[in-house]
Amino acid sequence: MVEDAKGKKTLTMMLFSGPYTSQYADHMCRIAEKAIEKGYGVEIFLYGDGVHAQMTNQAPKNFFNVGQVLMRLTERGAVTKSCLICSIARGYIEGEFDESRGKYPSSKALDIVEFCTIYGFIDMIRKADKLLTFGSS
Amino acid sequence: MTKVIIQISHPPFGHENAYSGLFVALGSLPKGIDVVVILTGDGVYTGRKGQVDPLKNINLPSTEEQIGDILNMGGRVIADRQALSMRGIGTEELIEGIEVLGTHDIQDIILDYGDHVLAF
Repeated sequence: MVEDAKGKKTLTMMLFSGPYTSQYADHMCRIAEKAIEKGYGVEIFLYGDGVHAQMTNQAPKNFFNVGQVLMRLTERGAVTKSCLICSIARGYIEGEFDESRGKYPSSKALDIVEFCTIYGFIDMIRKADKLLTFGSS
Repeated sequence: MTKVIIQISHPPFGHENAYSGLFVALGSLPKGIDVVVILTGDGVYTGRKGQVDPLKNINLPSTEEQIGDILNMGGRVIADRQALSMRGIGTEELIEGIEVLGTHDIQDIILDYGDHVLAF
Protein backbone atom coordinates (compact mmCIF):
# COMPACT_ATOMS: atom_id res chain seq x y z
CA MET A 1 0.00 0.00 0.00
CA VAL A 2 1.19 3.49 -0.84
CA GLU A 3 0.95 5.97 1.98
CA ASP A 4 1.14 9.73 1.71
CA ALA A 5 3.61 11.96 3.52
CA LYS A 6 1.47 11.79 6.66
CA GLY A 7 1.41 8.00 6.52
CA LYS A 8 -2.26 7.83 5.59
CA LYS A 9 -3.77 5.44 3.09
CA THR A 10 -5.85 7.17 0.47
CA LEU A 11 -9.48 6.36 -0.27
CA THR A 12 -10.56 7.85 -3.60
CA MET A 13 -14.20 8.00 -4.57
CA MET A 14 -15.80 8.92 -7.88
CA LEU A 15 -19.35 10.29 -7.82
CA PHE A 16 -21.21 10.03 -11.13
CA SER A 17 -24.75 10.99 -10.06
CA GLY A 18 -26.15 14.22 -8.71
CA PRO A 19 -27.56 14.46 -5.20
CA TYR A 20 -31.22 13.96 -4.21
CA THR A 21 -32.39 11.80 -7.11
CA SER A 22 -30.61 8.85 -5.57
CA GLN A 23 -28.64 8.13 -2.41
CA TYR A 24 -25.28 7.72 -4.14
CA ALA A 25 -23.95 11.10 -3.00
CA ASP A 26 -25.34 10.46 0.46
CA HIS A 27 -23.62 7.07 0.69
CA MET A 28 -20.37 8.49 -0.58
CA CYS A 29 -20.38 11.27 2.01
CA ARG A 30 -21.12 8.88 4.86
CA ILE A 31 -18.34 6.54 3.79
CA ALA A 32 -15.99 9.51 3.50
CA GLU A 33 -16.77 10.54 7.08
CA LYS A 34 -16.22 7.01 8.32
CA ALA A 35 -12.99 6.67 6.36
CA ILE A 36 -11.61 9.86 7.91
CA GLU A 37 -12.46 8.49 11.35
CA LYS A 38 -10.51 5.36 10.42
CA GLY A 39 -7.48 7.40 9.46
CA TYR A 40 -7.77 7.47 5.67
CA GLY A 41 -6.96 10.42 3.53
CA VAL A 42 -10.09 10.98 1.43
CA GLU A 43 -10.19 12.28 -2.13
CA ILE A 44 -13.42 12.78 -4.07
CA PHE A 45 -13.84 13.27 -7.81
CA LEU A 46 -17.13 14.63 -9.13
CA TYR A 47 -17.74 13.37 -12.67
CA GLY A 48 -20.68 13.63 -15.09
CA ASP A 49 -23.84 14.63 -13.21
CA GLY A 50 -21.87 14.10 -10.00
CA VAL A 51 -20.65 17.68 -10.40
CA HIS A 52 -24.06 18.89 -9.18
CA ALA A 53 -22.92 17.91 -5.69
CA GLN A 54 -20.77 21.06 -5.80
CA MET A 55 -23.76 23.43 -6.15
CA THR A 56 -23.85 26.26 -3.61
CA ASN A 57 -26.88 26.94 -1.42
CA GLN A 58 -28.25 23.42 -1.46
CA ALA A 59 -31.29 23.35 0.81
CA PRO A 60 -32.91 19.93 0.87
CA LYS A 61 -35.81 19.77 3.31
CA ASN A 62 -35.73 16.09 4.08
CA PHE A 63 -32.38 14.88 2.88
CA PHE A 64 -28.79 14.95 3.99
CA ASN A 65 -27.22 18.23 2.72
CA VAL A 66 -24.45 17.00 0.45
CA GLY A 67 -22.92 20.44 -0.08
CA GLN A 68 -22.59 21.04 3.66
CA VAL A 69 -21.04 17.62 4.15
CA LEU A 70 -18.49 18.23 1.40
CA MET A 71 -17.46 21.44 3.19
CA ARG A 72 -17.28 19.61 6.51
CA LEU A 73 -15.18 16.87 4.94
CA THR A 74 -12.79 19.50 3.60
CA GLU A 75 -12.35 20.92 7.09
CA ARG A 76 -11.35 17.40 8.14
CA GLY A 77 -8.75 17.12 5.41
CA ALA A 78 -10.67 15.64 2.48
CA VAL A 79 -10.01 16.91 -1.04
CA THR A 80 -12.85 17.39 -3.53
CA LYS A 81 -12.04 17.79 -7.21
CA SER A 82 -14.51 18.23 -10.03
CA CYS A 83 -14.35 17.47 -13.73
CA LEU A 84 -13.72 20.76 -15.50
CA ILE A 85 -15.35 19.73 -18.78
CA CYS A 86 -18.45 18.36 -17.02
CA SER A 87 -18.68 21.57 -14.98
CA ILE A 88 -18.38 23.78 -18.05
CA ALA A 89 -21.09 21.73 -19.79
CA ARG A 90 -23.42 22.21 -16.82
CA GLY A 91 -22.85 25.94 -16.46
CA TYR A 92 -20.68 26.07 -13.36
CA ILE A 93 -17.69 27.84 -14.89
CA GLU A 94 -18.08 31.55 -15.64
CA GLY A 95 -14.87 32.45 -17.42
CA GLU A 96 -11.25 31.65 -18.05
CA PHE A 97 -8.81 30.45 -15.42
CA ASP A 98 -8.00 33.31 -13.02
CA GLU A 99 -4.22 33.28 -12.55
CA SER A 100 -4.33 35.72 -9.64
CA ARG A 101 -6.73 33.54 -7.64
CA GLY A 102 -5.39 30.26 -8.99
CA LYS A 103 -8.85 28.97 -9.87
CA TYR A 104 -11.72 29.06 -12.32
CA PRO A 105 -14.45 31.60 -11.58
CA SER A 106 -17.69 30.04 -10.38
CA SER A 107 -20.36 31.62 -8.21
CA LYS A 108 -22.39 28.40 -8.40
CA ALA A 109 -19.82 25.94 -7.13
CA LEU A 110 -18.62 25.52 -3.57
CA ASP A 111 -15.36 27.33 -3.01
CA ILE A 112 -13.72 24.19 -1.64
CA VAL A 113 -13.97 22.42 -5.00
CA GLU A 114 -10.92 22.28 -7.25
CA PHE A 115 -11.57 21.89 -10.97
CA CYS A 116 -9.33 19.62 -13.01
CA THR A 117 -9.31 17.76 -16.30
CA ILE A 118 -9.57 14.00 -16.59
CA TYR A 119 -5.80 13.83 -16.16
CA GLY A 120 -6.24 15.20 -12.64
CA PHE A 121 -8.50 12.25 -11.94
CA ILE A 122 -5.95 9.85 -13.41
CA ASP A 123 -3.39 11.20 -10.94
CA MET A 124 -5.89 10.58 -8.13
CA ILE A 125 -6.33 6.98 -9.33
CA ARG A 126 -2.58 6.42 -9.29
CA LYS A 127 -2.37 7.67 -5.73
CA ALA A 128 -5.38 5.70 -4.48
CA ASP A 129 -5.09 2.71 -2.18
CA LYS A 130 -8.80 2.07 -2.52
CA LEU A 131 -11.08 3.28 -5.29
CA LEU A 132 -14.86 3.34 -5.07
CA THR A 133 -17.47 4.31 -7.65
CA PHE A 134 -20.85 5.79 -6.78
CA GLY A 135 -23.70 6.41 -9.15
CA SER A 136 -23.05 4.57 -12.36
CA SER A 137 -26.38 2.76 -12.58
CA MET B 1 2.35 -0.19 -12.52
CA THR B 2 -1.14 0.99 -11.64
CA LYS B 3 -3.84 -1.17 -13.18
CA VAL B 4 -7.37 0.01 -13.76
CA ILE B 5 -10.44 -1.92 -14.75
CA ILE B 6 -13.22 0.12 -16.32
CA GLN B 7 -16.48 -1.77 -16.31
CA ILE B 8 -19.16 -0.40 -18.60
CA SER B 9 -22.71 -1.67 -18.28
CA HIS B 10 -24.51 1.07 -20.23
CA PRO B 11 -24.95 1.37 -24.00
CA PRO B 12 -23.65 4.32 -25.99
CA PHE B 13 -26.07 7.13 -26.89
CA GLY B 14 -28.76 8.06 -24.38
CA HIS B 15 -26.41 7.75 -21.42
CA GLU B 16 -23.12 9.46 -20.77
CA ASN B 17 -21.69 6.46 -18.90
CA ALA B 18 -19.98 4.58 -21.72
CA TYR B 19 -18.42 7.70 -23.20
CA SER B 20 -17.21 8.87 -19.78
CA GLY B 21 -15.72 5.49 -18.88
CA LEU B 22 -13.86 5.22 -22.16
CA PHE B 23 -12.65 8.78 -21.67
CA VAL B 24 -11.02 7.74 -18.38
CA ALA B 25 -9.38 4.82 -20.20
CA LEU B 26 -8.05 7.14 -22.88
CA GLY B 27 -6.64 9.48 -20.26
CA SER B 28 -5.04 6.65 -18.32
CA LEU B 29 -3.07 4.93 -21.08
CA PRO B 30 -0.73 7.86 -21.91
CA LYS B 31 0.02 8.12 -18.17
CA GLY B 32 1.41 4.58 -18.17
CA ILE B 33 -1.59 2.98 -16.48
CA ASP B 34 -2.51 -0.52 -17.58
CA VAL B 35 -6.17 -0.48 -18.66
CA VAL B 36 -8.74 -3.21 -19.14
CA VAL B 37 -12.21 -2.17 -20.30
CA ILE B 38 -14.92 -4.72 -19.63
CA LEU B 39 -18.24 -4.46 -21.44
CA THR B 40 -21.02 -6.18 -19.54
CA GLY B 41 -24.82 -6.09 -19.70
CA ASP B 42 -26.05 -3.40 -22.09
CA GLY B 43 -22.47 -2.16 -22.18
CA VAL B 44 -21.77 -4.71 -24.93
CA TYR B 45 -23.65 -2.43 -27.35
CA THR B 46 -20.74 -0.05 -26.85
CA GLY B 47 -18.52 -2.58 -28.64
CA ARG B 48 -20.56 -2.80 -31.83
CA LYS B 49 -18.87 -1.68 -35.01
CA GLY B 50 -20.52 0.56 -37.57
CA GLN B 51 -21.96 3.08 -35.14
CA VAL B 52 -23.06 6.23 -36.91
CA ASP B 53 -24.57 9.53 -35.90
CA PRO B 54 -25.62 10.70 -39.39
CA LEU B 55 -27.32 13.88 -38.26
CA LYS B 56 -24.46 14.75 -35.91
CA ASN B 57 -27.00 15.19 -33.15
CA ILE B 58 -24.63 14.21 -30.41
CA ASN B 59 -21.41 15.69 -31.73
CA LEU B 60 -19.15 13.56 -29.56
CA PRO B 61 -16.51 11.07 -30.66
CA SER B 62 -18.24 7.74 -31.20
CA THR B 63 -17.48 5.06 -28.66
CA GLU B 64 -16.27 3.03 -31.65
CA GLU B 65 -13.55 5.62 -32.24
CA GLN B 66 -12.73 5.65 -28.55
CA ILE B 67 -12.40 1.85 -28.41
CA GLY B 68 -10.23 1.86 -31.52
CA ASP B 69 -7.92 4.39 -29.87
CA ILE B 70 -7.79 2.40 -26.62
CA LEU B 71 -6.81 -0.76 -28.50
CA ASN B 72 -4.21 1.12 -30.55
CA MET B 73 -2.70 2.49 -27.34
CA GLY B 74 -2.30 -0.98 -25.87
CA GLY B 75 -5.42 -1.25 -23.74
CA ARG B 76 -7.55 -4.37 -23.61
CA VAL B 77 -11.28 -4.34 -24.29
CA ILE B 78 -13.29 -7.39 -23.30
CA ALA B 79 -16.94 -8.18 -23.98
CA ASP B 80 -18.98 -10.58 -21.90
CA ARG B 81 -19.94 -13.58 -24.05
CA GLN B 82 -23.17 -14.22 -22.17
CA ALA B 83 -24.28 -10.60 -22.44
CA LEU B 84 -23.64 -10.71 -26.19
CA SER B 85 -25.56 -13.93 -26.57
CA MET B 86 -28.54 -12.67 -24.60
CA ARG B 87 -28.76 -9.62 -26.87
CA GLY B 88 -28.30 -11.54 -30.12
CA ILE B 89 -25.02 -9.83 -30.92
CA GLY B 90 -22.51 -11.96 -32.82
CA THR B 91 -18.79 -11.63 -32.22
CA GLU B 92 -18.43 -10.65 -35.89
CA GLU B 93 -20.45 -7.53 -35.09
CA LEU B 94 -17.86 -6.29 -32.62
CA ILE B 95 -15.09 -3.81 -33.25
CA GLU B 96 -11.97 -5.65 -34.31
CA GLY B 97 -9.64 -6.29 -31.41
CA ILE B 98 -12.30 -6.75 -28.73
CA GLU B 99 -11.81 -9.99 -26.83
CA VAL B 100 -14.82 -12.10 -25.92
CA LEU B 101 -14.64 -13.94 -22.61
CA GLY B 102 -17.07 -15.85 -20.45
CA THR B 103 -18.43 -14.52 -17.22
CA HIS B 104 -16.13 -16.63 -15.04
CA ASP B 105 -13.02 -15.43 -16.87
CA ILE B 106 -14.19 -11.84 -16.46
CA GLN B 107 -14.79 -12.38 -12.77
CA ASP B 108 -11.25 -13.71 -12.46
CA ILE B 109 -9.87 -10.61 -14.15
CA ILE B 110 -11.88 -8.30 -11.87
CA LEU B 111 -10.72 -10.12 -8.77
CA ASP B 112 -7.11 -10.76 -9.76
CA TYR B 113 -6.13 -7.83 -11.92
CA GLY B 114 -5.96 -4.95 -9.51
CA ASP B 115 -7.57 -2.89 -6.78
CA HIS B 116 -8.85 -0.14 -9.02
CA VAL B 117 -12.23 -0.83 -10.58
CA LEU B 118 -14.37 1.97 -11.93
CA ALA B 119 -17.96 1.17 -12.86
CA PHE B 120 -19.87 3.19 -15.45
